[in-house]
Amino acid sequence: MSQGKSGDRNDLVYEDVCMDFESAAGVVRALDPFSFHILGNEFIVIVGPSGCGKTTLLHITSGLTAPTSGQVLLGGEKIVEPGPDKAIVFQNFSLFPWKSVYDNIEFGLRINGVPLAERRRLVINAIQLIGLEGFEKHFPRQLSGGMQQRVAIARSFVLQPQVLLMDEPFAALDAQNRQLMQEELVRIWQTQKPTVLFITHSVEEAVFLADRIIVMSRRPGRIKEVLRPSDFMGELTSHWRALPYDDVIRRADFQELRARVWRLVKSEIGDRH
Amino acid sequence: MSNKIQNLIWTKQALILCVWVAIWGLIVEIFEVSSDFLPNPVEVLERIVTLSYEPIGAGTLVTHAAASVTRLLSGFLSAMLLGVPLGLLMAYFRPINWAVTPIFELFRYVPPIAWAPFALFWFGAGNAAQAYVIFTSAFPPILINSFLGVKLIDTHLLNAGLSLGARTWTILTEIALPAAFPLIMTGVRIGLAAGWMALIAAEIVAGTGTRDGLGYLILQGQQQLHADLTIGAMAVISVIGVFLDSLLRRVERHFSAWRV
Amino acid sequence: MQKRSTLLKNAFALISVMALISAWWGVTSLGLVRPLILPSPAEVGLGLIDIWNGYLGVPFLNHFKASLSVMLLGYLSAVVVGVSLGIGMAWIPSLDRLFSPVVSAVRPIPPPAWIPLTILWFGIDLTAKVFIVFVAAVVPCLLNSYQGIKNVPVDLLNAGRSLGATKRVLLMEIVVPAALPVILGGLRIALGTAWATIVAAELVVSLAGFGFLIMNGYRNLESNIVFCGMLAVAITGFLMNFLFLRLSQKLVPWMPSEK
Repeated sequence: MSQGKSGDRNDLVYEDVCMDFESAAGVVRALDPFSFHILGNEFIVIVGPSGCGKTTLLHITSGLTAPTSGQVLLGGEKIVEPGPDKAIVFQNFSLFPWKSVYDNIEFGLRINGVPLAERRRLVINAIQLIGLEGFEKHFPRQLSGGMQQRVAIARSFVLQPQVLLMDEPFAALDAQNRQLMQEELVRIWQTQKPTVLFITHSVEEAVFLADRIIVMSRRPGRIKEVLRPSDFMGELTSHWRALPYDDVIRRADFQELRARVWRLVKSEIGDRH
Repeated sequence: MSNKIQNLIWTKQALILCVWVAIWGLIVEIFEVSSDFLPNPVEVLERIVTLSYEPIGAGTLVTHAAASVTRLLSGFLSAMLLGVPLGLLMAYFRPINWAVTPIFELFRYVPPIAWAPFALFWFGAGNAAQAYVIFTSAFPPILINSFLGVKLIDTHLLNAGLSLGARTWTILTEIALPAAFPLIMTGVRIGLAAGWMALIAAEIVAGTGTRDGLGYLILQGQQQLHADLTIGAMAVISVIGVFLDSLLRRVERHFSAWRV
Repeated sequence: MQKRSTLLKNAFALISVMALISAWWGVTSLGLVRPLILPSPAEVGLGLIDIWNGYLGVPFLNHFKASLSVMLLGYLSAVVVGVSLGIGMAWIPSLDRLFSPVVSAVRPIPPPAWIPLTILWFGIDLTAKVFIVFVAAVVPCLLNSYQGIKNVPVDLLNAGRSLGATKRVLLMEIVVPAALPVILGGLRIALGTAWATIVAAELVVSLAGFGFLIMNGYRNLESNIVFCGMLAVAITGFLMNFLFLRLSQKLVPWMPSEK
């Protein structure tokens, strides 16, 4: 599970991925045929109105749901079932409440056959990475929301996934924690740089974090526009997510891009809200 | 709720209970109720104490209580051994649910005690018949609650497991079982209470071949017109019932340190 | 997809039940068990006819009426006493303190344990059986009424008070309706308990009723009669439960439906 250099292994290719649901009212199309190429190690953020199919897309990518038609290729291979190479982090953390911090993070390693000594090393490193030394034996209920989410991220991250899927992971946190977690996430991500597919409602979050932003239309979801923040970053030599959030958010170019993305999303929400 | 407050509530309740018992005694004295009909509380207490060393039937109070509890355990444990795994499997695999539920519903409406005659036909007048009746009454709550326990698990937890690479056996044993534990324990507690009730009923209705058990004592009291024996046995049954339940609650608390 | 899974579910149910019945028939026809252990379907059928015509001289309807009427008497009195006391205890703290030790002491005593004592007190006539059913049914009625009232969300109470409701209005128009689903649930459980208890009482001592029927079948070693008795008990229990659920849904349309 080591890192490939070019990131081809971590390429995500969507080929006409489409999703229909059966409901009492008949067949509902959640996702129009979606085709896209995500390069390995890219940090992709999807924004869009509620019900635009972004969570569905994430579930399909994780292998938890099968698309009605089309396919997703990870490193050239079709995704058919869930697994640690495409680990998913949920909004409500979904930590196993009966397991301690250590056990939660160790879980994936253990069931995938990593030997004990190696596991210990990896888990301890992970706990250090997320800054929770001393909390190994704590139960999730004893931790704050931000801490729980860090454990959830570590639980997936320690498996060195090719793709890290994140479903509005910071939505359940208060505004202050959210900002801190965004910076944390960037720091953690830099150590391995898996491909990231990140879903959010927050435009600021998207503009701050993304290599590319996909704006989805309302249902049936399709790609409305794709923006590349680096096109807006003016004189910066590296992505602004490496800078403190407070500084970035005050920049005029940040605000310009933010306004642009928000206008796109707002137009999809429509007047009837 | 802190232990101090709990103890306070307990003592208050015990005190008021004593008041009621005193009223009971007073009524018996003032209205000169015959002790065949309603003995006064002192007589009942005396009887219980005497029973501890003077045997009736097969033995002393301890023998009878032990006999009843042992019968309870055999029926109850078999209900747990069958009920919990079956409930889990039914919740996890829909076809199993579809196959078992109709049969379960068919049998559910037969009161446990109504099984007594058949149990006697099958097993004769011994402990196995009682165990079967207990099984019938303990089984439904255990099965239903184990089923619900799994059905009501947050899907995200299961998805998290799948996404981390867990497959069926791991998911069942390491995720479904712990997550469902609280509801399973509730079912087990209800099952134990139901089993205890069924046991006493079985001892009274079907009789015990071995002349022991708390139900036997109740019957003896009635047949010999010794109300103090009957009431005394009923009091002991009540106490044991409460004790067993609090024991299970302790076990439940021990395994629930992680609960919100 | 919905229709398909319902179809599949019903198919499975049908297959399950058919399998059970075929196994029953097969085992008994092949003589793998003595008829005492398991009567064959044919014998059960004969038993049903026998009972209908009047097993041991007692017409079927008599059994039915006997069990049901005694049970209803005990049940209804239990409902009246249990529900009012439960609501009272939940609403008035001093009542709670006064009666809860008694309830906690009486509650773990299994209803059938009362049978011998009741016989001692009332003999074996009607009063005795009504009393036993009463004791059995009053506990769930009381406990559920109590819990139902206690579990009414404080917000509802506060909303009522801020709108100017008096204590009486609060109780009658807000708290009791809010608690109604739980109270009805308790009444339904009590119904099942009452039914099981009357059958148990009849097993011990009676001259009529389904329990009596079963007991006689047992004494005469006629397992098919026992079987029929159990069947009658189960069907009546099921029907009562079903009717009660329907009634509840009418009375309390806002209540979520059962599993």
